[in-house]
Amino acid sequence: MAPRVWKARIAATLLTLGMGYTAMVTGDAAQAVEVLVERSCSGCHGMDGNSATAEFPNLAGQQASYLLREMQDYKEGRRQNEAMAPIMSALSTQDMQQLAAYFARQTPVPGTVNKPGLLALGQRIYLEGNDRSGVPSCEGCHEENGEGSKKFPRLAGQHVPYTLDQIAQYASGQRNNGIRVMRTIAQRLTPEEAEAVAEYMASLK
Amino acid sequence: MKATMMSMLWMALLAPSVHAAEYSRPMADANPDVIRLLAKEGDPAKGKETYGLCRGCHRADASGKAEAGYPQLAGQHATVIMKQMLDVRSGRRDSPRMHPFISDEVVPEEAIAHIAAYLRSLPVPDTNGKGNGRMLALGRQLYQRDCAGCHGKYGEGDGDKFYPRVAGQHEAYLLRESRESRDQGRRNANPGMVRILKGYTDEDLEAVSDYMSRLVPPVP
Repeated sequence: MAPRVWKARIAATLLTLGMGYTAMVTGDAAQAVEVLVERSCSGCHGMDGNSATAEFPNLAGQQASYLLREMQDYKEGRRQNEAMAPIMSALSTQDMQQLAAYFARQTPVPGTVNKPGLLALGQRIYLEGNDRSGVPSCEGCHEENGEGSKKFPRLAGQHVPYTLDQIAQYASGQRNNGIRVMRTIAQRLTPEEAEAVAEYMASLK
Repeated sequence: MKATMMSMLWMALLAPSVHAAEYSRPMADANPDVIRLLAKEGDPAKGKETYGLCRGCHRADASGKAEAGYPQLAGQHATVIMKQMLDVRSGRRDSPRMHPFISDEVVPEEAIAHIAAYLRSLPVPDTNGKGNGRMLALGRQLYQRDCAGCHGKYGEGDGDKFYPRVAGQHEAYLLRESRESRDQGRRNANPGMVRILKGYTDEDLEAVSDYMSRLVPPVP
């Protein structure tokens, strides 16, 4: 998507933030979180957490602990993104907890594989890593089916462009929250391996 | 109080100590007394969680990968694991592939004893990589003459003395490390062992590595 388009979406989202959430909390909790999603998230990530555009990550079925951590990191500047920072800074911890639980319980739609010819290499990297360059397997932390865990994010069905962008950000140091092992891994992946493993992640259900 | 004592021990461990080296090393050895003490504090349950970060190479059952040169870690003595982790971290042992994954920000120092305790608690798989089996008589002869005194009759090692268990280790890993130790590429190798290995041909190393990979200590 062209930056102009998503900037317009973000502007629309920011406008709605001015309406305030405090009134919603008094109402039915489930309804309140849906209002929050609609105002703050759905423009980019979809009402059910399945984003229509590959630059924005799918959130449906994502680990709640990861979602909460990332929202807090955006708010406090540990993860930087000009779109997410102002939206997150308007949310309370309780809002974030509700949003994390909401997106975690949504049903993910299957991801889109663009280059099936890369899946075999992607699978090898995902399950075995690359011994020569010292790339560990992905499944060691993110599990064989890509569902993640309490400590590591779900990758299954994620959009390829988003995954590739994150790998590039890890490698360059632009993304430096929760890096632990990811910077080294991203730097050791060849461009072809990165693309292949992103395709394989998209193929996981 | 206990937490304070433990963190003081860690400081002592990470500070340079004064052990003389037989040949040039970039840093002094980690303090063995402190490792012995800290090893007793390891909690396998906590270690299991942190070990998640290691699984991508050493596998969920800690059996490693013979073809990749990633060692089998299950059942290894906790002190041995801790010393090697600390040595790779500090640069006393060169492991470019592993080095970034054992930095402070990836593995907090207090987790080292826990990971080691967890690995020690795991059953040793018998699926490890072995050699071609052609020189086992030579391997046995060399092992009994030169190695069993420290590494044990059955390759069981001795955690208190930092002698690794070699039984059930991948042959390819044993061969690479013994060759590196002989040629002094592995800088944290035991100097006494290096002296012995200096008299070994490549064939001797292959024979004894194959023999060690097939050792199975009796179940106590």
